[in-house]
Amino acid sequence: MTYLKSRRFIGAAFTAITMLSITRTITGNGDLTSTVTIAQALVFASPIALAGLAGIWAERAGVINIGLEGMMILGTFGAGWAGWQWGVWAGVLAGVIFGAIGGLLLAVAAVTFGVDQIIAGTAINLLALGLTKFLAILLFTNAPGGGQAQSPPIKGEIPTFTFNSLVEPLSSLHEKGIFFVSDFAGILAGLFYNMSLLTIITFLLFAITSYLLWKTAFGLRLRSAGENPWAADSLGVKVVQFKYAAVVFSGMLAGLGGAYLSIASTIYRNGNTAGRGYIGLATMIFGDWRPGGTAAGAMMFGYIDTLRLIDTGNQNVKGLILLGAVILFAIGALMLRRARRNSAIGFLLLGSVMIGAYFSATSFPPEVAQVAPYITTLLVLATASQNLRPPAADGIPYRKGDHH
Amino acid sequence: MSQSSLAVELNGIWKRFPGVIANSDINLKVASGTVHAIVGENGAGKSTLMKILYGMQKADEGTISINGTDLVFNSPSDAIDAGIGMVHQHFMLADNFTVLENIVLGSEPKNGMRLDFTKARKQISDIAAENGLAIDPDILVSELGVGDRQRIEILKVLYRGAKILILDEPTAVLVPHEVDELFNTLRDLKKEGLTVIFISHKLDEVLSIADEITVIRQGTTVGSVNPHTQTVSARDLAEMMVGNELPTPEAVGDTIQDEVVLKVENLSVFAKGGKAIVDDISFQIRAGEIVGIAGVEGNGQAEILDALMGIESATGRVQFKDEDITNKSTRHRRELGIGFIPEDRHRQALMLDAPLWENRMLGHQTRTPNANGIWLTPRSAKADTKRIVAEYDVRTPSIDVLASALSGGNQQKLIVGREMSGEPKLLIAAHPTRGVDVGAQAAIWDHIRNARQAGLAVLLVSADLDELIGLSDNIKVLLRGKFVADADPATVTPQELGTAMTGAGEAA
Repeated sequence: MTYLKSRRFIGAAFTAITMLSITRTITGNGDLTSTVTIAQALVFASPIALAGLAGIWAERAGVINIGLEGMMILGTFGAGWAGWQWGVWAGVLAGVIFGAIGGLLLAVAAVTFGVDQIIAGTAINLLALGLTKFLAILLFTNAPGGGQAQSPPIKGEIPTFTFNSLVEPLSSLHEKGIFFVSDFAGILAGLFYNMSLLTIITFLLFAITSYLLWKTAFGLRLRSAGENPWAADSLGVKVVQFKYAAVVFSGMLAGLGGAYLSIASTIYRNGNTAGRGYIGLATMIFGDWRPGGTAAGAMMFGYIDTLRLIDTGNQNVKGLILLGAVILFAIGALMLRRARRNSAIGFLLLGSVMIGAYFSATSFPPEVAQVAPYITTLLVLATASQNLRPPAADGIPYRKGDHH
Repeated sequence: MSQSSLAVELNGIWKRFPGVIANSDINLKVASGTVHAIVGENGAGKSTLMKILYGMQKADEGTISINGTDLVFNSPSDAIDAGIGMVHQHFMLADNFTVLENIVLGSEPKNGMRLDFTKARKQISDIAAENGLAIDPDILVSELGVGDRQRIEILKVLYRGAKILILDEPTAVLVPHEVDELFNTLRDLKKEGLTVIFISHKLDEVLSIADEITVIRQGTTVGSVNPHTQTVSARDLAEMMVGNELPTPEAVGDTIQDEVVLKVENLSVFAKGGKAIVDDISFQIRAGEIVGIAGVEGNGQAEILDALMGIESATGRVQFKDEDITNKSTRHRRELGIGFIPEDRHRQALMLDAPLWENRMLGHQTRTPNANGIWLTPRSAKADTKRIVAEYDVRTPSIDVLASALSGGNQQKLIVGREMSGEPKLLIAAHPTRGVDVGAQAAIWDHIRNARQAGLAVLLVSADLDELIGLSDNIKVLLRGKFVADADPATVTPQELGTAMTGAGEAA
């Protein structure tokens, strides 16, 4: 099992780097696989990844968490409010606690009272949005450096790590522009450049989640609450307690994601999450409710965001278009091999359209890049939805003793 | 424990629900190391009683004593601790979990924090080997059929060290050879000194396996018989259950007319990926004819029925009387006079959270008595629901209760009553009496037989081979989406049919 999994991981990484490398070679745009791009992509990806991970925890226990966005908002506010007064680590802690309160609210509504989970989650999103705006006016308007819509700067910084002995040789290898090797070097160096301690914590949380949920009795019981809570109950599993634990922890993770956002931009700002909670949900679905795939999905969003933002010569978006075409062709070829002719034709056609666009236009508006992750997620859902395995009782209110 | 000591003793158990008394003064004595059957009609209170014994519900009054000790169960864990295990009627399994995960859930072997998969695997294979319940622990449950799932359920309780097993209608979903396997397992378990409490409608089976039989009627225990020392027939038991004499479930006379009501040509249904689930079948049903389809579940029955109702897309041609309905909508088909009793009543036939009278309208929402033009007519729909409740003996406090409040058998009676309303020309029925007790079963058979007399054509799918043989004029055996044999109900035995269904031989 483990052997197979690691082989699949290596295979996926290899494919991804190859496709990036092809695109980089054709466009001649070194930014696509540079150390700085990857390092920045990790910063953008981490909050999304945390939201996705939060989604995994709640939904594995059978509670749909649309409220992730709201819990993230609470996290951004907590981090801004506490971070401004008592320093950055207090901000992290407050973000986590505020997120947990959001999670607890969802747990009370969805688990104890059996409220429709989508509605309860949406209510939390609206509540968090309104509450933080109100509190921002109340607490930050007269604070030095603050305003009606933003907090004063957060004090202190999260330590970051750069391993120069690794990064420098790898970066110079990247400059050489060798197919695959240079791209691999650039990406690898990105993992050791300006790595924030919070990003490392995010990595650890993914590893811990994988272990806890899939290798321990605790995880089996938690997941049983999302697969068949009636069966779990009949075996003496305390379903309600597990759901509570999972949803509150989900809130904590989303809160941490929010705190990460505020700390990365050094202040709390209204609307700083910009829908990242929902994107987190999308990455969770993209990743089939599993940590590995979710992390990959978050990285995809982070990467595209980065390219869009560091775009100096207006060439990165163009590169992305080509990358999209390469990916579509690859999927199309895969479909052909699996004898799914109609899907294959669809992908190849779409790929050709993008190739055409790439060669006919000199530049693209950055908005094109903004929608790319969503389109990718839709494509994944459209093609892989039959293979996705969401928790069987996800979103179904559970009442003890009820028959199913 | 000596042979004569009592494993379970229930005294004066009462359980009331709003509007219903589920159990009134139940007294039950189960000797250790025996198979003890509990029989009774739907809604007689068997399931409630077992839930009380398993700690899922609390009795309002009465005492439970296990191996001579009085105990109070607040949750299933208490019952598990007392050595009681339950094999539920609807399997309690997580489809996305492996066999191993399903079995160890709640009492996992641990190595530090880690779930010790190696140890679990060994324990499961040991128990499986001891009791002849071979199964691969690492396969996903979603890939397994009903027989295997039941084996997992039994393994689950054995793994927890249960000495007293409750089996809630274990044979309802099994084909004959699987029933035999189950009974062999139960005999083995008995030899190991385990006590089995066995709930069933199927009285022949009860007589063949039980050492003692307790009958429950209207929530109370009305008597016990010992089939080893007393001569007792299935009919005697049925009369004890119902409290009066029964009609005989036999097919009567030939009512087949010339008119072809349903003509199916080259019907195929394909799974995603192109595999044929229903593979190029053709048949026809004439007015007054009942055509039965025999087959192990999952061989394409559900897909045939769904295709005929226009729910599933299919290739081929379907003709109803003189009209080609191949491309017609489900609503159009229903309005032509096709009634449908689906396989899974919760998924397809009922709105569980709606009252009975709204369920009465479902599928008939465009016709009288439920609608007049574009307007629904709740008043006459309610009146008609009352008629169905009376005619089909649906046990319910009122027609305003939610469908989910009825027991499975009573839900089924409501569905049959609804689909037989408005004089259908063709009835497409899957397991019309599944979960229904003997008395009501006979009544449903009578309704179908009477309608057949009047020219109703019926396509019947049933896992109950006696029902299939008793009702059908012709039986077709379905295996992997194809008709592999025809059987004459006048001569074929359930055993022969069961063999043909598994593809092991030829039917008569």
